[in-house]
Order: sequence, then C-alpha cells, then structure tokens
Amino acid sequence: MAEAMRQINPDVVAAFPITPSTQVIEDFATFVADGKVKTELITVESEHSAMSACIGASAAGGRVMTATSANGLALMWEMLYIAASMRQPILMTVVNRALSAPINIHCDHGDSMGARDAGWIQIYAENNQEAYDNMVMAPVIAEHRDVRLPVMVCLDGFIISHSIETMELEEDQAVRDFIGPYRGLHSLLDTDRPVTWGALDLHDYYIEHKRGQQAAIESAKSVIESVSDRFYRTFGRKYELFESYRIEDAERVMVAINSVAGEIKEVVDALRDAGEKVGLLKIRLFRPFPYAQIAAALRGAKVVTVLDRSTSMGAYGPLFGEIRTALYDAEPRPLVYNRTFGLGGRELFPDDIQELFAESRRYLQNGKVEKIFDFLNVRGD
Amino acid sequence: MSDKYKLKKWQDLPPGGVITEGGNAADYETGTWRTWRPVWQKENCVHCLTCWVFCPEGAFLLQDGRTAGGKDRKEIKEIDYFHCKGCGLCVRECPVNKQGKEPALQFIREET
Amino acid sequence: MSEYFEVRWHGRGGQGTVTGAKSLAEAVQGTGKYVSAFPDYGPERRGAPVRAFDRFADKRIRIHIPVLEPDVVMIVDPTLIGSKSLVEGIGENTVFVVNTEKDAAETKRALGLTGQTLYTVPANNISYRLFKREIPNSAMMGAFARACPQIISIEALIKEAEHAFAALLAKDLVAKNLDAIRCGYDEVRNA
Ligand code: SF4
Ligand code: SF4
Repeated sequence: MAEAMRQINPDVVAAFPITPSTQVIEDFATFVADGKVKTELITVESEHSAMSACIGASAAGGRVMTATSANGLALMWEMLYIAASMRQPILMTVVNRALSAPINIHCDHGDSMGARDAGWIQIYAENNQEAYDNMVMAPVIAEHRDVRLPVMVCLDGFIISHSIETMELEEDQAVRDFIGPYRGLHSLLDTDRPVTWGALDLHDYYIEHKRGQQAAIESAKSVIESVSDRFYRTFGRKYELFESYRIEDAERVMVAINSVAGEIKEVVDALRDAGEKVGLLKIRLFRPFPYAQIAAALRGAKVVTVLDRSTSMGAYGPLFGEIRTALYDAEPRPLVYNRTFGLGGRELFPDDIQELFAESRRYLQNGKVEKIFDFLNVRGD
Repeated sequence: MSDKYKLKKWQDLPPGGVITEGGNAADYETGTWRTWRPVWQKENCVHCLTCWVFCPEGAFLLQDGRTAGGKDRKEIKEIDYFHCKGCGLCVRECPVNKQGKEPALQFIREET
Repeated sequence: MSEYFEVRWHGRGGQGTVTGAKSLAEAVQGTGKYVSAFPDYGPERRGAPVRAFDRFADKRIRIHIPVLEPDVVMIVDPTLIGSKSLVEGIGENTVFVVNTEKDAAETKRALGLTGQTLYTVPANNISYRLFKREIPNSAMMGAFARACPQIISIEALIKEAEHAFAALLAKDLVAKNLDAIRCGYDEVRNA
C-alpha cells in the first residue's frame, strides 16, 4: 500500500500509527524522508486529528491520503461523516482489525463495517495485488466529478498486510498517467473565488444535501465500472463490482469479503472436481452496494451462505442484510442464511469451508434452512 | 422574496454544502428577529465606533467625517435595521451610555 | 493442498525469524516461483516463541492460513525443542532444519522423530563469528538450500538474496549476510 501511495505522490498525508496499519505509514514516511515523494507528511496526535487535517488539506485543494485500523478508525468517526458530507475525495487505507474490547490486534471487519453508513465508498481486497490495484484506481474514482467522495480501500490485517506475496507492481509513470493530475473543486485557498465550507444547514436544506450525496455515491457504481474497465485495458487485470467465481450454473453459492475468498476458491475447485455445483461471490464494492447486479449474478442459485467477518450486535451480520435484501425479489427466492466467523483473527480453514458446503447441500436437499444465524469455530454450543 | 431565495432542488446545489457566493450573509434579514430597537442619538454621539466594533451584524453604517480639529475620521451614519437584530450589545457597550449622561444609543421596545 | 510447498519456522522474538522467512520467499520468488510469507503474531515480545510461514508454488497462491502440514520445519532456536508445536502436523517426509551444535541423531531423538530427515547447522556459531551476536536467520537460509535444492540452489539463493538484502541493509552487512548463507550451507550435517 505504501508503494501505491508513493506512486500516487499525494500532496498531504496526515496519520497516526496503529497496528496493523502502522507499517503503511512507516514505509511511506521513509519515502518522504528519502525525498522520493513531495508529500507534506503531518504527524498528528490522534486519528481524529488525522482525519481533521485530511479534510482541511483536501478542502484547501490537495490530493490527500491516510491509513488506519480498528480503534483508530473508530476515533475518526465524527470526521468520517464530515469528510464524506463535505465531498472531499480523501483516500484511506483501512487495514481491517478487530475493535476493542478485549484488545485484539488481529483481523476482522468490525472497524470498516461500522463505518459503512458514513458516506465513504468502500472497496475490499482479497490479497495484496487487489489492494494495490484498488488503491491505484481509488483516486480516479474519488475525484470523478459525478462522485467527489472519499474512498476506503480495505484489506485484512496481518493476513494480507503483513504477508509478502508474488504480485505485479506497475511503473511509476504508468500509474501517474492512469491517475492524472488532481483537479480540486472550490479550493479554500482560492482567494479570487472565496467560498464557505461547513456552513449551517437547517431543515430547509439538509435533506437536499443528503439527497445529492446519495446520488453521488450511487453514481460511483458506474464510475467504478468504467475506471475498472480502463484499468483492465491499461494494466490487464480485470475487476468488476464483485467477483463471480464459478457461479454461472452454481446451485450453492457462498458470499464473502476479503482474504477468506482465497480459501473458499480452493474448496470450490475441489468440490467442482467432485461434480458439485458450488461457487463463490466475492464482494469488492460494499458501499455503494450493487444490489441489482448481485441479484442478477445470483439468479439460479438455490442456497446462498453469507459469511460475515463482523457482528452487528443484536442483529444479523451487515453483509447478510444486504444480500438478503438484494435477493428478496428473486423468483424463485433462494434459501439465504448467515454465518459469523473470524472475529479477532480466528482462522477459517478449508476443512471448515468444506463442512459449510456440506451443510448447504443438506439445506438444498431438505428445501429449508435449519439455522439462519450462527457463529463458526467458536467453543461451546 | 426574490428568485435568488427560492429554495433550490437538490440537483442544483453545489457538492458538499459549499457556499460559492462570497458575503451572502448580507442578504439574510436578521432585522425580523428584533423585539428591542437601538435608536441612535446623533447629538450625543462622540463617534468612538465602539458600537460598530461590537455589533455582530455589522449594522452600524459609516461615513467619512472630520474631528473638531479638522482631522479625517470615520463617523457613524445610521443603523441598518434590515440587519440589526436588537441584541442590545451596542447599547450596553457605548461609553457615552456607560457614563450615565444623555445616552447616545437608546433602547426601546418595538411597537406592536 | 499438496500443490503448495510449505515451510514453518519456529524461533523467538528478536532472532529475525520473520525476516528469515520473508527473505527466503523473496529469494525463491526470484527464481520464478509464486511465493507467500507471513508471520503468526502472538505477543510481540523479545524471547516469546514466534512462528513464520513460507508457501511456494508454480501457480498463484490463494490461501493465507497458517501452515498446518509443513514440508519443512525450520527450528531457529533449539531451546524450543520439547514444545509440541514443533512437530504438529508433520508427516514421514517432513524435513527438519535445526540450528544446533549437537549431534543430528541426538536432536532427532529429542524431537521424537522417527523416519524423517533432519539437518543440523551451527547457525548461532556462524552468526557470532560474522556478526558478534545472535542473528541466525541467514545461516538458516543457507541450510535450507542444502536441505531443499529442488526449491532453490545455493547459487540462486546467493544471487537472489543479494537483491533482497540490498534493499534493506548497508553494503558491508549485505556481504556478511551472504557469507552467513554460504557458511550455513557448508556447515550442514545430516542424519
Ligand atoms: S459607541 Fe456610542 S458614542 Fe461611540 S460611536 Fe457608537 S453610539 Fe457613538
Ligand atoms: S442591537 Fe445588536 S444588532 Fe442591533 S445595532 Fe446594536 S449591536 Fe447591532
């Protein structure tokens, strides 16, 4: 991620260290110290300040980036909404980590899932290659004139962030050509055209501004499609709003986010070899959520298992809610159920995934779901 | 209300709630908030401009003038009641008023 | 998951175990294989047992889980011997590389091994000779090339490690680490 940041060479980075995102900023700080980027690196006293500084720098007309994890993201909460509502195209790496308490440094998606309503675009990645590619696309998406919204590029803490993997990095110049120069809107520093940011907005206008924001994030879907398409034509790696892995004729489909998709693909391949019609739908874009496209991709699926790596305490998992909503109007409507896994870094092994598919086969045979919601790999019944 | 103040549709708003016209607070009529009215007594005023400094609405309008000694200075011209919201700060801070002499700023109830 | 060649490193915090696993992966990547390397972070304390993993393959590596059934077990710290986790998931063909000056046969007994192949390398000794302190990971990499020439030859390892080290270390340290790799390779004993 630091490598993508170096290539993007943003005007300002404001950040506060938190495991496991620290490495991103640490590496980037080395690039700043070595003069490899022209970035103004602001070391602040908290994540709340980091996001505040990002908003100010972005309103001033710069391309701005940061990175955080877990409690750091939580401390940014207030400013996340302000960044999005003020339509600042800030780019943030979120290295997914479990929220305290108890303190845990390992991966789950509770941090970014909790921020799903803040108005940021959220793009997820299975591995380092996808995280890098998403970050290269992120400024083009964020700064598109129909969008003008901040983007979170999310990847799994430690599992991905601290692993080295064979991957393709593109040439600096190619990346810079792909992204293009930053073009701001209404710079605070433009004294010839002074503007007011962050003014009061009462019941006569607030809802109109929110309506406009909704339109902007909705339009991000088609923008992301066209940017991904240009990325494919430029660099040769193909991305869609979500990845369909062997689901064309699949009866049983698993839906998941981030690195666990790799393990699921291995199991899908093994089961396909044994003649089972199974597949995986991997979420890439979570906000905005591509309901219609996912419903279309899952047409024909009879059982859909939704894996959430986070909880919405007192409710089903956040991904499950979206997938069931997407499938409500499907004819015929598939069986859809929810499993929570991996909180605080608990592994989900291929054997566990095999078992999950065995369960979905049972549900298919019986024509009904026995348990709509459960935790996986947890001690005790 | 002029066309300018017709409430806009969401499509017509600049992104991020940004206000692109400078100084448009001047278009906002805070005069409707007033229940007490400051009344300037020209003959008692020493043109110290304290009221002009304190007024949160910029309601004191100035003009060029001269001191008794013939030096150029700014003087109070009038109170702009489109913006004066009747907060009474000027009445309270006016040094002439504080001295207990004939007030330079009277404060009277708005007529109903 | 037999299309993956899997290595599990056991060391203690501060010995460069994670760096060893990552440097080895970078070197193997240089030979054209797909690789991944990652640590298993527990409490990040000096002296606490640490594990790190390598996966090598001829196709893109999609799994990220810890190595459960290692092809190779690299024991960076011999004082860990006795811990059950060292022999977890091993098979008859699992190869051991152990940093120790003890006799290979004795080490095998201490680990409770039966038929498996075990190599020893006095990596601490090499490290003290070259660096005057205990950073055994480069010597362990050299020993790996001796144990698993089918993954990487010593010549390729030296060549690729030079690249990897150059990005991290000053010139004289690059040279010393390459020496450590070669000594590690040369001083391996087998049982
Ligand atoms: S504060 Fe009083 S004396 Fe001074 S300028 Fe205003 S009205 Fe006149
Ligand atoms: S009453 Fe308040 S608003 Fe009106 S002129 Fe005095 S200070 Fe200004």
